[in-house]
Amino acid sequence: MTPAIYLTRLSMSDKLLRLFNGIRSDAGAAELDSIDDDAKLRDDLGFDSLELAVLAVKIEAEFGVDVFEQGIVLTVGELRGRINE
Amino acid sequence: MNLLLTGGSRGLGLQIAEHQLSLGHQVYVVSRNVTKELDSLLRKFPERACFIDCDLADTGQIKKRVFDDQIGKETPLHGLISNAATAYDDLLTNLQPEPLHSMFQTNVYAPMFLTKYVVRNMLLHEVAGSIVHISSISAHTGYKGLAMYAATKGAIESFSKNTAREWGSKGIRSNCVVAGFMETEMSSSLSNEQRDRIHKRTALKRPTSLVSVASTVEYLLSDGSQSVTGQNLFVDSGTI
Repeated sequence: MTPAIYLTRLSMSDKLLRLFNGIRSDAGAAELDSIDDDAKLRDDLGFDSLELAVLAVKIEAEFGVDVFEQGIVLTVGELRGRINE
Repeated sequence: MNLLLTGGSRGLGLQIAEHQLSLGHQVYVVSRNVTKELDSLLRKFPERACFIDCDLADTGQIKKRVFDDQIGKETPLHGLISNAATAYDDLLTNLQPEPLHSMFQTNVYAPMFLTKYVVRNMLLHEVAGSIVHISSISAHTGYKGLAMYAATKGAIESFSKNTAREWGSKGIRSNCVVAGFMETEMSSSLSNEQRDRIHKRTALKRPTSLVSVASTVEYLLSDGSQSVTGQNLFVDSGTI
């Protein structure tokens, strides 16, 4: 049986992927099939400061956490860590 | 439209609330208390007028009381009318830290935090909304006793201009209505002689009308002003 924690992680990944692709789509960028924890939000995913602000707002609505409240995060893994804190 | 209005219990704020409710909009009125006049407005428009009890001088409670508890994340906001303000009038040589601090909390910090959460709401709901700050002619002309108050309005005008620049690419606009002296409670402590002197400094030789300011706010919230942002619109009887 799949551990519950794994299901939660999958679910969070799916939600993050959906949010990332929504913002990329608005910017005319190709949608992603998956996301890697090591991926950098700016350099690898191509988000600029305003897109990161939109991402933060949508993450807060989805997960109830303001991920940039304690300062900027650089990677998907760090983002996931803030949501889990 | 869903609008958030501060300082709507009397004077200009009450006028703006009534104006926007009459146009059919939903108005969330933030105030410290419900005056008789606001109470009658809430009863007249029970479906569309919503009172939010919040003392804006306590900026730490704005997010919870206004946004989390009342507006919620499901309601898109289309406009903010930041009108609430207090006036600490005195000669500079009498300046005291506590009233200065309190005035800056209400007139500068609160509008900044309200704008923060309104812009976040607009981004969440992908709304190209409009932010309107009520400024004052005192920030531009100078009047004896108003140096501290005018400084808060100058700060808000700079804040508005930069907000417009920062969020324009998302369609969010920010403007100030620079109001002249109006016959409201805020100016009630002026003597008749002081009033006459102020009015003589205007082209129209009369106080600024509340209706004129409320109509300008309506324009800035509407699609008719879709190309107007980062501006200060003077509604001041033509102050010279």
